[in-house]
Amino acid sequence: MNALAFAWRSLVRQPARATLGVLGVAAVGALLFDMLLLSQGLIVSMRDLLARSGWDIRVSAGDLPGRGGRVSAATSTAERIAALPSVKAALMVRVANAQIERSGGGPPIGDAPSIGGGPPIAAVFEGIGGRSRHREPIAPPWTVVRGREARGDTEVVIDSAIAAAANLQVGGTITLRASCVSDREALPPARLTVVGIAEFPFAGTNEDAIGGSLDALKAACGGNVGDEADLLLVTSVGEPAETAAAIRAEIPHLNALTNDQVVGRLQQTGFTYFRQISAVLTTITVSFAVLLIAVLLTVSVNQRLGEIAALRALGFSRWRVVTDVLSESALIVGSGGILSLPLGLLLASGLDRILKEMPGIPADLHFFVFERDALFTHIGLLVATAVIAALYPMRIVSSLPIAATLRDEVIG
Amino acid sequence: MPAGASAKAGDILISRQLAAERGLVVGSIVQLAADAAGTGARTFRIAGIYEPTPDPARLGAVPREVRLHLPDLLDVTRPPGQQPGTEYIANINIALVDRADATAFSRDVNARMPGLIARPSSEAAGAAGPFRVLERFHLAIAVVTIVAATVFLLALTIMLVDERRETVGILRLIGLPARRVLVQVLIEGVIVAGAGAAFGLVLALLSEGLINAFFQWRYDTALVFVRITRDVAFTSAAIAIPLGASATVLASWALLRRSGLRLARR
Amino acid sequence: MPDVIVDAQHVGRAFAMPAGPVHAVRDVTLQIRAGDHVAVRGPSGCGKSTLLHMLGCVDAPSSGTLLFDGRDVATLSDARRSALRLTRIGFIFQRFFLLPMLTAAENVELPLSEAGASKRDRQLRTKELLDYVGLSARADHRPSQLSGGEMQRVAIARALANRPQLLLADEPTGELDEATGAQIAALLDRVNADGTALVIVTHDHTLAERAARVLTMRDGCIEQETRQ
Repeated sequence: MNALAFAWRSLVRQPARATLGVLGVAAVGALLFDMLLLSQGLIVSMRDLLARSGWDIRVSAGDLPGRGGRVSAATSTAERIAALPSVKAALMVRVANAQIERSGGGPPIGDAPSIGGGPPIAAVFEGIGGRSRHREPIAPPWTVVRGREARGDTEVVIDSAIAAAANLQVGGTITLRASCVSDREALPPARLTVVGIAEFPFAGTNEDAIGGSLDALKAACGGNVGDEADLLLVTSVGEPAETAAAIRAEIPHLNALTNDQVVGRLQQTGFTYFRQISAVLTTITVSFAVLLIAVLLTVSVNQRLGEIAALRALGFSRWRVVTDVLSESALIVGSGGILSLPLGLLLASGLDRILKEMPGIPADLHFFVFERDALFTHIGLLVATAVIAALYPMRIVSSLPIAATLRDEVIG
Repeated sequence: MPAGASAKAGDILISRQLAAERGLVVGSIVQLAADAAGTGARTFRIAGIYEPTPDPARLGAVPREVRLHLPDLLDVTRPPGQQPGTEYIANINIALVDRADATAFSRDVNARMPGLIARPSSEAAGAAGPFRVLERFHLAIAVVTIVAATVFLLALTIMLVDERRETVGILRLIGLPARRVLVQVLIEGVIVAGAGAAFGLVLALLSEGLINAFFQWRYDTALVFVRITRDVAFTSAAIAIPLGASATVLASWALLRRSGLRLARR
Repeated sequence: MPDVIVDAQHVGRAFAMPAGPVHAVRDVTLQIRAGDHVAVRGPSGCGKSTLLHMLGCVDAPSSGTLLFDGRDVATLSDARRSALRLTRIGFIFQRFFLLPMLTAAENVELPLSEAGASKRDRQLRTKELLDYVGLSARADHRPSQLSGGEMQRVAIARALANRPQLLLADEPTGELDEATGAQIAALLDRVNADGTALVIVTHDHTLAERAARVLTMRDGCIEQETRQ
């Protein structure tokens, strides 16, 4: 009977204990796996999201897109950027808060808000405008799934949540008030035509979004819009890093970041909390598992000292009895580790759902992303756990005084 | 800065981090502008250096902050061509004599002044505020940890109770009822669980200091990351002690279902 | 002259205690030859089991020399001593020490498996041994399903698995009733008659009377040797 088979029989001898040990490792292992997924999840997801957007470079006034004020003289800035030889297209993006009236009330009287239909729907209005090198149409930062793209200053696309909540179809009219200058302003409503339903990958989970041209946004804001942009999106002809450097050389007071650089900055700032907590919880989880498996094995070994001494007296080598203990540890941790994977994925989906409720997190961004490296690290940590947890009980059986133990068993 | 500049300069405060980064001290003369091109720059004197209120939402970002008197700020940020007095402000923060009046006060302002939105600070973030979300996240992790700990605890108590099976068997054989043994086990379980909970709390209090010290150093912030409040301590003990005692009783109950003779046999 | 399996010359064993060393065995000289049947008797604490452990290479003497098959046990590594116990020595204990999660057959098979025997050889030898001790019908029963006497017979079968030269028994009938003890005694006689040297530590005088040599110990020394 080899060591693994022997260990299996030892575990099966006490099924309740073994089952609980395995389940405990499964629960702890699930948490460990999730923390490993979390440690790089945001970075991987953000990198993927940025790559899928089709834009290589983000130009902003602050150290990160969306922070630190607006880009002033946006139109001329965009033109200067678009004129660079390595730039294919430059798109201005301006964002404003909007309040959408729900349909179902009576017809509006003049400019007064319509009555009835419920509280207004809060949304984010993204207005875009830009130019490409060869006057090609520029893909907006959203994807139309029904209808067509918005054109001019009277058309918009909306997301499906707004369409449902405000009972709007393609071809319908949306009434909204947008605040371009400050957070909230008391402005007359604007009526725009919905020409399409779109998906906005960078809109937050609990955020509704509208898209249209800068002119449409200006109309929605009652004309109260300066020549400013929250962000400039750029696609490059060649290497994004070279293009970003060219933009910085052309306009030194703005920050031009490639997608990798954006991810790098986020890694140091906004995402850093999750890396830290992932590291802390990984350490605590592994320590917890080592401690508990060590205690389980040690108590189990201490209860069987007589048997072990007898086996040694019969000729079992020190190495053999030590291997038996290690095999027991491997079986408990291994079985629990296998269970921990589906459990961990289930837990990760729940935790991801919780964290995605955070404001400002794009709906397509995930905190927990499966990566092969995380799986290998998980396996490596479990192997280390099995070995470290078994060290003390291995030492007990290895240094067991055979004769004294046999004597004690008789006396006891 | 030119020698006569300080005479006309207004006073500002800057954050400690900004002062450290730029090598500025109290009395330094600086220029502030609303854009990187320096449009409409004005001269100011640093009257003081302050520790910015930590903003958890901007953890990791270095708070390079400047505080000005409102007229100075409006002067610096006013777009060219805009008449003074036509600027806007984003928020007015109000400190009430009685904080409990916040909700009623907000309602009153909203009713009297359409176009303004007043809300108590406690409701500002709403249910989806980042810290509410993090709280739920931490709670989910705590639940998983408790489940795992409970499973292990059960395994351990089964083993420990099994070690005393002979003693329990003998007690049963000499006539002690199972209930008496269970009560004994419950008392022991409460004592051990109580001692464990107390030890855990001491460990948590020690860790609290270490964790806060580390993260405050790491992020150069005065933010407190971990705080063991009375509620937290009470909740932890309220979970740990019944769990520990129940696990022991459950394991013993499983053992006591067997006859005393079987238990006492070696 | 029959081969000398164990040659103990002036061996002693002392245990360090807080109050001072305790000499469990003092200055014992004896030889065990092939085919010997030796009983060791004496009051509790006289060093019988300690002597047995030294003869079985489970414990090392603090003084004197102990040769097993001509090799000084003190110079052997732990692995070599384990190998000796596995292939040349068999042990039987008062408390049987069968592994409760294994069947009778699996318990007997353990030393064979550890010695590297093939599956076929293990199965054949196990069957042979269980037949030898009269427990073929209980091969698939676990120790909890066996009586005390049956457990000890399985333990004897296990001890004989690798055809040891020497079988050491520490109070083999200590936990058995008289009738069952007599059965075990008869079985041990048979083992000895088949060529295995036997050293038994026992309080049981009927068991001791079956031995060809009886060593009486007191205070760690052999007080008397009787040949029967």
